[in-house]
Amino acid sequence: MKILVCITHVPDTTSKIQFTDNNTKFDKTGVQFIIGPYDDYALARAVELRDQTGGELTVLNVGEAETEPTLRKALAIGADKAIRVNAFPKDAYFVALQIAHYAKEGAYDLILMGRESIDFNGGMVHGMVGELLGMPSISPVMKLDIEGQSAKMAREIEGGKEYIEVDLPFIAGCQEPIAEWKIPNMRGIMSARTKPLDVVETISDETFSQVNAFQLPPAKGAVQLIDKDNVEELVRLLKNEAKIL
Amino acid sequence: MSSFYSKKDLRFQLFQNNPVLTLSQYSYFKDHGKETYEMILDAADKIANASLLPYLSEMDRKEPVLENGKIRLHPAMKKILRQFGEGGWINAPYTYEEGGQQIPQVIQLAAGFIFQAANYSTSVFPFLTSGAANLIRTFGSKTLIDNFTPKMYSGEWQGTMALTEPDAGSSLTDLSTQATPTGEEGVYQIKGQKIYISCGDHDACTNVVHLLLARIKGAPAGTKGISLFVVPQKRLPDLRSNDVLTEGIYHKMGYKGAPIAHLMFGSHDNCLGYLVGEPHKGLSYMFQMMNEARIGVGMNATAIGTAAYQASLAYAKERPQGRKVGEKDPARPQELIIAHADVKRMLLFQKSIVEGSLSLILYCAYLSDLVHVQKGQEREASRTLLDLLTPIAKSYPSEMCCLTTSAAVQVLGGAGYTTDFPAEQYYREARIHPIHEGTTGIHGLDLLGRKVIIQDGMGFTLLMKAVGSTIREANVHESLKRYTEVLSHYQELSQKVTLKLVEKARENPEEFLADATLYLEFLSIFTLAWQWLRQGISLKEAKENGQIGEAFYLGKMTTLEYFYEYELVKMKALAEKLTSSHFPTIKMKAEWF
Repeated sequence: MKILVCITHVPDTTSKIQFTDNNTKFDKTGVQFIIGPYDDYALARAVELRDQTGGELTVLNVGEAETEPTLRKALAIGADKAIRVNAFPKDAYFVALQIAHYAKEGAYDLILMGRESIDFNGGMVHGMVGELLGMPSISPVMKLDIEGQSAKMAREIEGGKEYIEVDLPFIAGCQEPIAEWKIPNMRGIMSARTKPLDVVETISDETFSQVNAFQLPPAKGAVQLIDKDNVEELVRLLKNEAKIL
Repeated sequence: MSSFYSKKDLRFQLFQNNPVLTLSQYSYFKDHGKETYEMILDAADKIANASLLPYLSEMDRKEPVLENGKIRLHPAMKKILRQFGEGGWINAPYTYEEGGQQIPQVIQLAAGFIFQAANYSTSVFPFLTSGAANLIRTFGSKTLIDNFTPKMYSGEWQGTMALTEPDAGSSLTDLSTQATPTGEEGVYQIKGQKIYISCGDHDACTNVVHLLLARIKGAPAGTKGISLFVVPQKRLPDLRSNDVLTEGIYHKMGYKGAPIAHLMFGSHDNCLGYLVGEPHKGLSYMFQMMNEARIGVGMNATAIGTAAYQASLAYAKERPQGRKVGEKDPARPQELIIAHADVKRMLLFQKSIVEGSLSLILYCAYLSDLVHVQKGQEREASRTLLDLLTPIAKSYPSEMCCLTTSAAVQVLGGAGYTTDFPAEQYYREARIHPIHEGTTGIHGLDLLGRKVIIQDGMGFTLLMKAVGSTIREANVHESLKRYTEVLSHYQELSQKVTLKLVEKARENPEEFLADATLYLEFLSIFTLAWQWLRQGISLKEAKENGQIGEAFYLGKMTTLEYFYEYELVKMKALAEKLTSSHFPTIKMKAEWF
């Protein structure tokens, strides 16, 4: 089985987010980058499926050279080879276009990615890739099993789950608890150094949107601890300070 | 829960403040680089968050119990031990041929820092196994290595250091555990008892391998008659009992997740031990390994201090209390306590100690890596400087983190004294470090009585040279000149005080060593001030290269200033005492108390 996992290179969830150039650019100074947490779930399940069924697991990222350490982390976790599409990920369509082009050439049985990235949170790429390749795209997938040429999965829906069966190939946007995040061992980390990481150029520069500016949410207010028996004080503060009553 | 360490600072310390990346120029480390190190730190962070941190308070509250002669641990510990073993963490620094990955000590120690800050108890198990296995692989026969180390590396078997006895703790000269030859080469009958044996018995592993000090029958008295043995709890090949009994478990003040046991060896005259290396050289083998362990203890204290600092910082940023000085209007909203100067003082105190200590310990670990790969005079110089710095790197963070964790409790006020917050646990867990792996008193004696004077004071001279070199480097930066002037002054003071003390070594050894612990504190403060100046230079460079942000830079530069304003000045009072001719501690008699 040939599996492609698309990963994002995103700021660590504990990073302090700041912008520069009049709030048009993300300030990367001192920021640690990680594999997108939802992509990490997809990768973990892909490693398990590759180990069960045999075959090859490729990991792909659309990004500039600075994303290569993140791809190496995916190789340490268990991917066999890595591809970096050499471009800044301008918008969801741009990214989907690159993935679709590469995936079409590779004839993958399964294309997995996170249900959304945690930087722009668009949640659109898997759907767009499905459309571009003419394949089913299902998200958010929280359980996935492969039986021969078909897959059984559970998808989260409002208030419950939906159980789906679909033939390969298809695309899935993944989330927990599809698999437990995998932590690379020392041997995996060392072998990641020598696994192939190829850089390919973009197929098109076409985009549908552009970001004009970013805005941070307002700063969190201070926490006030109120005695559990002092309901009057709580009401007073909610009325006079928080002004929500 | 708040973050328990600063990823940003750990990376700054490794990659900007210490030349860790230059290690790859040596063939032993040639396969490594920043990318590998980042992955190791990242993996350690994930293990810490997923497997260690969640059990921090639970392991404290449900401590191990001795049931039917076996110590039962928290059930999560078995999986955690296996995770350390299967992940390759126990033998990571060892050679490829041994199944290791030739990871530098400095990186191994940095990963350990993450584990220790998350949950110190859990980190003790692999740390001990690694130390015990290292003794076997360094001094043991091929048979011992083949029989014991693979399962220790995999985390299936626990390793321990079995040194202390009821009448032999700091003074190992007096240990009495006996080894009697069986007639088979290298195999002895062991008889005796050991106390305070960390992880000496538990149910998360299938065997415990004790690295035990004992006296071979007829051996010379004193430390020269001590030999080192491998004494497994279960004998090979069929894992039947080796007559090692768990007599008791101690109830500790902190790090309760890791048990310490009272063990009886050979109660039924059926306990076999296997000699490691040559007879009567046990203590020298043990001490060669202990230097690394001692730096590790300094790191443990620093990690716990770091976690406490982070917890108190998070609280100070959320807790409103009081108003600005001069603000009389009670209708005005309260300030967050981090706005108050005295709270900031307590936070700066913690930050200056834990980040200064981290800088020193990683520097020492880097020197340890150099000792491993350098040759000739270069190697000798690195080893001598490392030897001098080891008692400082062990003791100063250990002593000071008792105070920093206390400051963390203080920041939280009444809340800090309750078990609703982790500060009180960190305070208890920090307290062991000035005690184990040699008390602070022992390290004071080691520093002044040995390390400062041996080789005609070569270690001290190398430290002064290194400080001088940092001062010259810092003088390039205008804003650091203020600190270089101060440090130069204290460098002169350090030399004067040391000279005056050393002059006393022959004429009055008792007075010479009476205040060795104070001398250790004196030279430690100076060493930390040097480390902070090193950080100042690295901060300037990292800022110019766009590797760190403004807030990180300003936060650390202000902490440097704090250390020089509040901590370094303590050397004056210590110098006064160290050069005084009055010794009430010698004069005082037991019956006068």
